[in-house]
Amino acid sequence: MNKHKNISIGRKINYVILIIWALIQMFPIYWMFTFSLKDNSEIFGENMFGLPRQWLWENYAAALKVGNIAKYFLNSVIVTGFTIAITVIFSLMATYALTRMIWRGRALVNNYIMLGLTIPIHAAILPVFLILSKLKMTNSYQALIIPYAAFALAMSILIASSFIEGIPKELEEAACIDGCNVYQIFYKIIMPMMKPCLSTLAIFVFLQAWNELMFAVTFISNSDYRTLPVGIQTLCGSYTTDWGPIGAALVIATFPTLLVYCFMSRKIQESMAAGAVKG
Amino acid sequence: MNSFRKVTALLLLVTLSLGLAACGSKTATDEAGTQKAADTKTEDAQTASDPEETTEEVTLTLWSIATESDAFHPAYVKAIEEFEANHPGVTINFETFENESYKTKIKSAVAANELPDVFFTWGGGFSQSFVESGKVLPLDDYYPEYEDGITKTVLANATYDGVIYGSAICTPVSCLFYNKAMFDEKGLKAPETYEDFVNVCQAFIDDGITPIGISVKDTWVLAMTHDALTLKSAGPEKTAAAITRTEGISYNDPDFLESAKKVKELADMGAFIEGATGLSNDEACQLFYNGTVPMYITGSWMAGSIQTDAENPADFDVAPIPVINKDNAAITDFMGGASDTLMASASSEHPDLAAAAVFELTRAISHYSYLDGAGIPAWTVDYDAGEVNDMTQKIADYTTSATSFTLWFDTLMTSEDAGEYLALLQQLYIGDLTPEGFVEAMAAQLEN
Amino acid sequence: MNKVWKDKKAICIFLAPALLLFTVIVVFPIFMSAYYSFFDWNGMTDATFVGFKNYMELFTSKSAGFPKTLGNAFLLAALSVFIQLPVSLFLAIVLAKGVKGEKFFVALFFTPVLISTVVIGQLWMKIYNPEYGVVNTILRNLGLDNLTRVWLGEKSTALIAVFIPILWQYVGYHMLLLYAGIKSISKELTESAKIDGANGWQAARYITIPLLKPVIQVCAIFAVTGSLKAFDMIYVLTNGGPAHASEVPSTLMVSMIFGRNRYGFGSSIAIFIIFICFFFAILIKKAFSIGGKQYE
Repeated sequence: MNKHKNISIGRKINYVILIIWALIQMFPIYWMFTFSLKDNSEIFGENMFGLPRQWLWENYAAALKVGNIAKYFLNSVIVTGFTIAITVIFSLMATYALTRMIWRGRALVNNYIMLGLTIPIHAAILPVFLILSKLKMTNSYQALIIPYAAFALAMSILIASSFIEGIPKELEEAACIDGCNVYQIFYKIIMPMMKPCLSTLAIFVFLQAWNELMFAVTFISNSDYRTLPVGIQTLCGSYTTDWGPIGAALVIATFPTLLVYCFMSRKIQESMAAGAVKG
Repeated sequence: MNSFRKVTALLLLVTLSLGLAACGSKTATDEAGTQKAADTKTEDAQTASDPEETTEEVTLTLWSIATESDAFHPAYVKAIEEFEANHPGVTINFETFENESYKTKIKSAVAANELPDVFFTWGGGFSQSFVESGKVLPLDDYYPEYEDGITKTVLANATYDGVIYGSAICTPVSCLFYNKAMFDEKGLKAPETYEDFVNVCQAFIDDGITPIGISVKDTWVLAMTHDALTLKSAGPEKTAAAITRTEGISYNDPDFLESAKKVKELADMGAFIEGATGLSNDEACQLFYNGTVPMYITGSWMAGSIQTDAENPADFDVAPIPVINKDNAAITDFMGGASDTLMASASSEHPDLAAAAVFELTRAISHYSYLDGAGIPAWTVDYDAGEVNDMTQKIADYTTSATSFTLWFDTLMTSEDAGEYLALLQQLYIGDLTPEGFVEAMAAQLEN
Repeated sequence: MNKVWKDKKAICIFLAPALLLFTVIVVFPIFMSAYYSFFDWNGMTDATFVGFKNYMELFTSKSAGFPKTLGNAFLLAALSVFIQLPVSLFLAIVLAKGVKGEKFFVALFFTPVLISTVVIGQLWMKIYNPEYGVVNTILRNLGLDNLTRVWLGEKSTALIAVFIPILWQYVGYHMLLLYAGIKSISKELTESAKIDGANGWQAARYITIPLLKPVIQVCAIFAVTGSLKAFDMIYVLTNGGPAHASEVPSTLMVSMIFGRNRYGFGSSIAIFIIFICFFFAILIKKAFSIGGKQYE
């Protein structure tokens, strides 16, 4: 009895902590939303955190009209979508070879992949730009998709490795006895088992690609291929900036990501919930 | 879905292996190769016949920082329309970028030889290495056609080793913006000498009002104040000579020490807004627009911003920077000048058209941006400008009667010196460096 | 089975796309940077070979102040491993145990990562604003006027004021990884531990955390390499100021490469960052593999 009481007090404390943390985490969304409805004098003046005195919905009109946000949004979706697809496929394949398969030099290649986590992105701008320029690939979607995928690979492989270790080898051995070859094992056993990992990977790759700015500014000059972060930046004037429409554009850029994320996280939960008992 | 994945993977593989092969063979001759390619391209283009005579469709690409929400944007659009009307068959492909990231972009473009036909840049030290790299088109042959509209003096900042490489859009200058309503309340007038200036500051401080808005976080704003005070202490020739590494002129000099001391003195007396080290320019300006502080030293573009951002634009007025040393400088000496520049790429396929675009676009942008109240014109005003807001007109009048223009330190200096200058200035403000230590460190940087 | 896993052709096919992409776009630029770091070069005009001069300057130049930036980066790395990761782990365990509104909390805790650093940076600038900011307002209302500061503008507080938002923003990032990791651990193990009389925290301590080691290792590597490369938030909030107080290697590198056109010197900083990150990543891997073998 006493023990049970302890647990429930512990639960309550946990719950209070969760709610306080939740309020803190909610604040940026609230703030971003109110910020998108204010003008400079409120944003930088005494009313930084309160509700807008006047709700300036025209900031949204300005962002959509001047900023051409809709087109940039589509470009971002294309670039990010392909980046995710390529990264996830390539990294799952590589991970399988790097964790399950047996060959000499495996540890070395594993370490080699880690190099990808070390490079500061700004140092890579010029070298990557020179490479893309030599390949005649600037000013295109692939000018961003390829570098984004390449730079996300190390992270994805590392995450995928940590997940693949949790998959029991018995399944593959059984499939092997049933006469599956290595490709069939990968496709029929590993891919389905890695589903929860897949959505996690997708979210983390998404994060890297969606908000990336400096590659997008440097590698893309033609506004037909411009992505959202660069587009939003063009709402800044060279000497003075009207921050309200920027706030509006940022809301437009962020809320879909929240939705996509919620969708994805449900996917993660679903695929993980299989067989799990609700606590 | 499955087959789609396979196709994507395969395609990428092929592209990459091709790429790898191409890369491998080229990297060895990397720099030499690109340079040569650029040279031959230029020669080809110059031997081609004058494109204006042909009727073939030509597209020129123009990069600038006049984003759609920038005050200069409408002027660019009108200028481009005008140019396209005057040159049938020519289309200008106009791309804009945000100021800070554009600086990275343009440098990378020079390095990778990916410059557009015509591009926005800043005169002085910023573009020096662009010109030295040979990727900018010299414009001496084209200038005579336009010399009536713009003088060689104005183009000095885009002239390297006596050769003109660009043409200017506007001549922003540093001014003292002040809240006239707050001045009138205290019976104060715009100061003309440094003594007046200190008295004005003291009068506000005595009333519990901090007199000057400034951002030290965005160090260029602090530099605006320090540059202006330095000019008014040492005079235009000496200032320019010292910061451009002229033989025999040291920065370790009483006149330069004087202005560093003045900045320190103003900081110590509490003349600058509290917390300036943590405020951005946007935040600090807001304190000026809403009447918290009565003065702000910055570029003439503030005249335009006041019209949109302040509640009562009529409360505000502008004055030249007060003089510290009468023997060296006059009230009509100005910090600033024609730094916003267009240049053309040496590897443009249509160099004649690109050169024409540089001059004709800057002329038209200078015209229209002035009428919009956005910029102080760099080209001669041969049109009626009565509609322009009072402050902008007043500054335009200052510039026509100016005795000298000295470009801002961080623009005139080479990028490396400028970076060090801004870092040292911040240390001076915070008190990490004494004024003496500051001028010594500056001298050391400029002489190494 | 081993025969299947030793299929050389399959290994090549699985590895080739990733390795090729990685080598051309990521590793090749590292070599280019390494090459540039031996030159005095502005990125545009002719380069002069200077040998190890740039590397010497890293540790001798007082005005660049590189050793101090390195110290700052190490501090951030330590804070993220010893504060950020435990907080994330705590949240992940609590959430994964199954509380009411679990999905809602997971989604909410992750949102700061989704919002771009520009927004988060602007928000924190307002929180720290000396006049109207939350921090100073609270202090004033508590009558602690003497504790109010220009948080981002004073040398003594700028560094920590910049680190707090970074640590806070990425709690959700690590939490999500750890949460997904816990969720993929078979439920039976923790359930059977509970039947054996372990309470929730004991089950976490003796079952969940050991089984989570591969994921914790990945988080630790991300936290350390991420801290050593940290740039965005610092750039937005202070850009390394005031007077280099909050400078880290990346901000110094960017101001050298793109601010001052010292491409060669900037590249030497880049190579140093790469070296340190790699060193720590391997070190963490080694540390986890000692005594961690049984979980593979």
